[in-house]
Amino acid sequence: MKHSHALALATLVFLFTGVALGPVRRWWRNREVVEIRARMPERGGFSPKALTVPAGTPVRLRLVSDDVVHGFAIGGQDAPVVDLYPGKPVEVTLTFDRPGTYTFYCTRWCGPNHWRMRGTITVEGPTTPEPTSPPPLYVQLGLDIDAPHEATVVPQERPRAFRGQRWASRIPPEMQTVEYVRTHAPEEVWLTLRALPATADLDDQQVWDLVAYLWRQATSREALAEGARLYAQQCAACHGEAGQGDGPFAPQQVTMPDFTDPAWSFGASPALWQGKVLRGGMGTTMPSWGLIFTEEQTWAVVDYLWTFSMDLEPGFPSTVP
Amino acid sequence: MRNFGEWRWGIGLVVAVLVLGLPVPQPQAKPQERVFRVTARQFAFEPPVLQVNPGDRVVIELRSSDVVHGLYVEGYDVEAVAEPGQPDRIVFVADRPGTYRLRCSVTCGDLHPFMGGKLRVGRNPWLWKGAALALWGVTLALFAARPRTREGGR
Amino acid sequence: MTARFDVLRYPWVRRLVVSRWPQYLVRVTLLALFLLAVLVGWLGTPVGNRNFAIVGVWIAWWAVLILVAVPFLGRAWCSVCPLPLPGEWLQQGSLLGPRGRGGWSLGRRWPRRWRHIWLQNAGFTVLALFSAVILTRPGVTAWVLLGLVLLAVGVSLVYERRAFCRYLCPVGGFIGLYAQAAPLELRVKDPAVCAAHTEKACYTGNEQGFGCPWGTFPLGMVRNDVCGLCFECLRTCTYDNLALNIRPLGADLAQRRGAKLDEAFKAFILLGSALTYAAVFLGPWGALKDAAYDVGAPSWWGYAALLVGLSWVILPGLFSLGVWAGRPRLSWRRAFTVLAYALVPLGLAMWAAFSLAFVAASVAYVLPVLSDPFGWGWDLLGTAGWAWRPVLDGWLPLLQAGLLALGAFWSVRTARGIGAIWGWPRAVYPVAGYVALMTGGMLWLLLG
Repeated sequence: MKHSHALALATLVFLFTGVALGPVRRWWRNREVVEIRARMPERGGFSPKALTVPAGTPVRLRLVSDDVVHGFAIGGQDAPVVDLYPGKPVEVTLTFDRPGTYTFYCTRWCGPNHWRMRGTITVEGPTTPEPTSPPPLYVQLGLDIDAPHEATVVPQERPRAFRGQRWASRIPPEMQTVEYVRTHAPEEVWLTLRALPATADLDDQQVWDLVAYLWRQATSREALAEGARLYAQQCAACHGEAGQGDGPFAPQQVTMPDFTDPAWSFGASPALWQGKVLRGGMGTTMPSWGLIFTEEQTWAVVDYLWTFSMDLEPGFPSTVP
Repeated sequence: MRNFGEWRWGIGLVVAVLVLGLPVPQPQAKPQERVFRVTARQFAFEPPVLQVNPGDRVVIELRSSDVVHGLYVEGYDVEAVAEPGQPDRIVFVADRPGTYRLRCSVTCGDLHPFMGGKLRVGRNPWLWKGAALALWGVTLALFAARPRTREGGR
Repeated sequence: MTARFDVLRYPWVRRLVVSRWPQYLVRVTLLALFLLAVLVGWLGTPVGNRNFAIVGVWIAWWAVLILVAVPFLGRAWCSVCPLPLPGEWLQQGSLLGPRGRGGWSLGRRWPRRWRHIWLQNAGFTVLALFSAVILTRPGVTAWVLLGLVLLAVGVSLVYERRAFCRYLCPVGGFIGLYAQAAPLELRVKDPAVCAAHTEKACYTGNEQGFGCPWGTFPLGMVRNDVCGLCFECLRTCTYDNLALNIRPLGADLAQRRGAKLDEAFKAFILLGSALTYAAVFLGPWGALKDAAYDVGAPSWWGYAALLVGLSWVILPGLFSLGVWAGRPRLSWRRAFTVLAYALVPLGLAMWAAFSLAFVAASVAYVLPVLSDPFGWGWDLLGTAGWAWRPVLDGWLPLLQAGLLALGAFWSVRTARGIGAIWGWPRAVYPVAGYVALMTGGMLWLLLG
């Protein structure tokens, strides 16, 4: 009888120790891993939101979602995007060579405030002289990106690049550059082209088609595809799949443009749109993408935005001589 | 088996199996394409019930209005996953009558396991067969199967 | 008496239940798993379907309980339940059988005025009101589990025997009612032996075992609800006068003795909650799910009113109208009480049919969670990454329809038996109507 009670007690202690080992093991492992938990922004977003790590040393991160699907990426970097499915932790090892501040952000829509879900990683170390990049175009041009930019002349129908291609030779070469297109609004370009003697035999719509042609020449099929992807991922939830400002979260926003409306679109230059994307809204709920998109990504998105008001890709390049 | 002859149990069971085998008439409409725009939110699909006829081609365009959701059609084993601004669509031919559950297939919050809807293809044979079977069971119990009681032997 | 088959006639079965070790090992293991569930509920991921507290308790345990243990083995769960175990150890001052010394309990008798299951009925209803939260939030589940254990310990330290199990446990009342339909019972073999036995060791205990923890005197036992299958009486009985019988299904339901109003109400609470759960958890109505989840919100009060109204007012009210229409020879209250037991088979079938759908959709969470109980990224079994897919989806409607039809048949048959005993043959007609209504409603909710 004595023995059996001792044995019973031993069994009990053995089993309970087994259960307690779980948390102990985790505590032990957590000394070398930094855990970042992701929750819907209304419940706190990422925690912790700010990390400090030394430069040049690998950092092990364990990322886990506590509620819905989130994502994790670091702005302006080529590091892979990680999807975070609820309750399924993902471990990544990152090494930051250059000191500075990096923004990490959620990549999957997780509610109306998804775009607020961001955090920073401060990388410390001996500062090395960084190659300074030039300020963005809208700053160089000194554009007031919050000023109204309503177009006064608009086309009757959507301008089409493949039609404009027929009269491409009428456009002066100095206008046929990426820099020219990015620094001018379609309305200005149309007025300039309209005034040229070379377009005297074209009707107004045909001149608009020339504008579309110029805009198409300033981008590429690859850039438009990348822009479409980024737009669907980051923008469509508010701005709408078709750019009409009717995404599921549009009603919660302060203002919401309709990209298909030529009066709104054709009075602004690509540089101005780039400014809006980079800086975000002042007094509106447009997020800032400057810390997240690379330069190429920003231009890809801006190029894609024009496809809501012009036909850039369909039928282009035209096979009809 | 004193109170209820075994042959009577046999008849009861045979009828029950026959009831289960009864054909349930289905609407004889010409198959057509049916497009549903389904909006998912935490924790419901809108519209929650999709009604089609057997043989219809079903197109479900799934949109999400808050977080990532999935729509999995039980029995047809097809799935759509949508995120706000990124819709998805599934197309299949509803060739088998019945009621099939739609379930959210991407964890979307606390009530995720209970988020669902229904796809009704024609009439659900099991609903009618189940009702007929239950009715047969009640009838059998009322009029044929004499019950067993603790005092039954007295 | 109808046919019984005593499985204790096999010596190995007898050894298995009389020896304390098998039961102890199962209970201690379950207690460890229970502790794990509480720990995981607090420390693990808050995502319910990746957390052992939710998946282990509300899917795995629930499936085993309602689909296997209760319908086939009655109160077998109570036999191995870990909830009262720490309290029992303290109360008995022993881990494994009597040690000839007292424990740490005041050993008071449970107050006479609380000797009923109304508290269990209320407890079950309260849990049902918060079920959408308890079923989905691991932290809440952990607190509920811990609360039940602490309550059981507290009750054990003040009162004698397993008073918590018999009078308080919210699950206990439900198992007790449905155990009466199960094909397993523990009963005395020869009443004359017990009657002549003056010591009544089965009630008072001896060095071989404790006096009945459920406070039941086996000789007077006519229904399964008062027997927890703890097997203490098998250990204490000096005359080997107890049998563990396999018996026909539903054997307890149609008999003169042992029908109680509190238990009759339990039958309606279970019908009402089965219908409500089928609508809330399996129905397509999102607003209903939100209402059940938003505890404290006006819509939640609506849900509470629906659940309580259906379980405590509408369903029993409708039934009592039927009882009245059947012009009983007994008092209305008595007739209501005895006849309500006819609804036990249908209620069990409704719960099984509901749980089948619930479990079929969620059982795919079990293996990943066993492999990673905390949701911390472990992969103990290599199954953490298994994808979710419902199982049984082709067979489910057939199984549910069959179960409900069987329940309907069996309930009406039981009603006939009850009518025969009380010389009230008309009783079966209102029950048949009521059963048809309930079965139709559940069929529509599950298969419509």
